Amino acid sequence: MSQEVYVWSAILGLALATFLARSLVLIAGERLRLPDWFESALRYAPACALTAIIAPDLLLTPDGLDLTLTNPRWLAGGVAVAIFAAFDSKIGAIVGGMVVFWLVRAALGG
Amino acid sequence: MSAPPTVTRRDAFRRGFRELLPYSPGVFAWGLVTGIAMTKSGLTLAQAVGMTLIVYAGSAQLAALPLIVAFAPLWLVTLTALVVNLRFVVYAMVLQRHLAPVPAHIRPWLGYLTGDVMFARYTAMLAEEPDHPQRVAYFSGAATCNWLVWQVSSLLGIFAAGAIPASWGLGLAGTLALVTLVVPLCRERAALAGVGAAAVVAVVAHDLPLRLGLLLAIIAGCAVAMGLDRHAPAAGRASR
Repeated sequence: MSQEVYVWSAILGLALATFLARSLVLIAGERLRLPDWFESALRYAPACALTAIIAPDLLLTPDGLDLTLTNPRWLAGGVAVAIFAAFDSKIGAIVGGMVVFWLVRAALGG
Repeated sequence: MSAPPTVTRRDAFRRGFRELLPYSPGVFAWGLVTGIAMTKSGLTLAQAVGMTLIVYAGSAQLAALPLIVAFAPLWLVTLTALVVNLRFVVYAMVLQRHLAPVPAHIRPWLGYLTGDVMFARYTAMLAEEPDHPQRVAYFSGAATCNWLVWQVSSLLGIFAAGAIPASWGLGLAGTLALVTLVVPLCRERAALAGVGAAAVVAVVAHDLPLRLGLLLAIIAGCAVAMGLDRHAPAAGRASR
């Protein structure tokens, strides 16, 4: 499959997934009954899915797991968490994380 | 003059639109980051523009980008987006109770326009005026404002990112944006434990083919969180 076909298929997949989540209940109305375990999963699944994407991106380098000061990506993530927890500011967390990323990379001579 | 005030649909729509404006800087910055991340992960201009207009779900888009870059199977990309989007099911369950007067062919559009920020504003309005007669029009107004601000900022990010060198590593901003989505979801102990389990499994199982480690991590995280959750309320009741 070419990159072009693959990416457009993925976009349609995302559109389908988003449509199902946002509109199925609105269309089906009272006819749709969701099981109890599903309502419980609703509370936790999104956070787990996002974490499962974030963790390898921040913690893994081409040489494997790197939780040392030579990996600027996880330091940036840690700073973003700290800023968000302290100031409740999304923009502050993103900007602060990026600044740390650039500073650490510069300090390492990258 | 003493007749009960009648709110027209147009008034309610305008009010919803206006009351979302104070939140637009946050929505704008978020859209900008998403636009930049899409371009920086290697999507073509047309693909990035298509994604923002068709999908219109920032967190699902940001979550899908690393999978798309890795050529993960399409079913896994779709499933991941579905899981990340599960919070919209909760929003739809709230909105659904107010939709009696809305024709069936309009409903999917209200779903498409649902966003986190505008929904928070809608619930805040409902808390003050639970019986607002034109609440769906208010919803549409707030949703339209949210959509416009998001799309303008996202398109701006897509086009601006082309001028920014790849060496800046701006794609990381997309991941940091996801971090800020997870933190507020971790206030409960069960959720925090689930997120921890998901992180460990995702790292350990990262080299599995087809990025199946992602699926394992979601399942492990939910299992841990739901396992702890079942015990937590019982313990809470005993102590009260």
